[in-house]
Amino acid sequence: MPSSPDPLFAGLGQAVRIGTNLLATLMVGGGLGWSIDSYLLPTEPWGLVGGLILGLIAGIRNAYRTAQRWDQS
Amino acid sequence: MEDPLHPFELHTIVPLSLFGLDVSINKAVIMMFIVVGLVILLLTKARSSGSLVPTKLQSMAELLVEFIRGMIHDTMGPEGMRFFPLIATLFLFILFCNLLGLMPGAYTVTSQLVVTGVFALGVYTLSLLVGLKIHGMKFLSILVPSGTPGWLLPLMVPIEIISQLARPVSLSVRLFANMTAGHVILGVLFGLAISGGLLIGWLPFSFTVALYGLEVGIAFIQAYIFTILTCVYMGDAFHLH
Repeated sequence: MPSSPDPLFAGLGQAVRIGTNLLATLMVGGGLGWSIDSYLLPTEPWGLVGGLILGLIAGIRNAYRTAQRWDQS
Repeated sequence: MEDPLHPFELHTIVPLSLFGLDVSINKAVIMMFIVVGLVILLLTKARSSGSLVPTKLQSMAELLVEFIRGMIHDTMGPEGMRFFPLIATLFLFILFCNLLGLMPGAYTVTSQLVVTGVFALGVYTLSLLVGLKIHGMKFLSILVPSGTPGWLLPLMVPIEIISQLARPVSLSVRLFANMTAGHVILGVLFGLAISGGLLIGWLPFSFTVALYGLEVGIAFIQAYIFTILTCVYMGDAFHLH
């Protein structure tokens, strides 16, 4: 991750990013799955379940990646 | 005790409508005008002296410019300086909204999901357009993480799409939730202090004072996070992987 002029700011920024990212990917994944269920395919409830799982994977992957990039710098 | 969400309600002050759209003036709109006016006033005043030995205001403005320039250089590289006006405007607007919203009686514009959502969507759409303009169709390779074996592609592409779509969501929700939560906590604690009276009320009151200091810090940090993430997303559009 880029180094900011102020290390305290940069660290806090990183920490806050990871938490909300998890929530956001879950919301987007679940939302996409739910809308596939309700409007596109008759797969209820598996679209929602699959979407949530994919969202969770995406969130954890993002958190891992952010932490890794932070470690490198 | 008063409903803690009461301060976030908006009431129309001057009803207006433009081509059938509701553009009524309410407290949030007035607050935004004040913020924009204050930023313009402060910056033109800082610029007006233009002396070699900077005045107080001028050196503040120079510090700010250096701070934002550093942020852009770290994330986007020197070619990102084209977006300096946009990034600086975003940072100043959000920072002043957060700070002025902390004044008693003022309204925190950034505690409305509509405001932060429009900012986040606009910034994210801009980063997509910039990426498409620079790289053309090759830009779609952001959906394929480097070094993915072929058989994993059907799994990785949806995951990447979700994490891309989550960017504007997390950007907007983070700012909105932090501002709202902070103000609710302040409101509740202060309500406790008033209803507690002199005997026990000093305890929640001292918490209010401490949390107020924390909220000032959060106002800075949230403005910083919003802008640095904007820079990071723009940087992703400039440099693939």
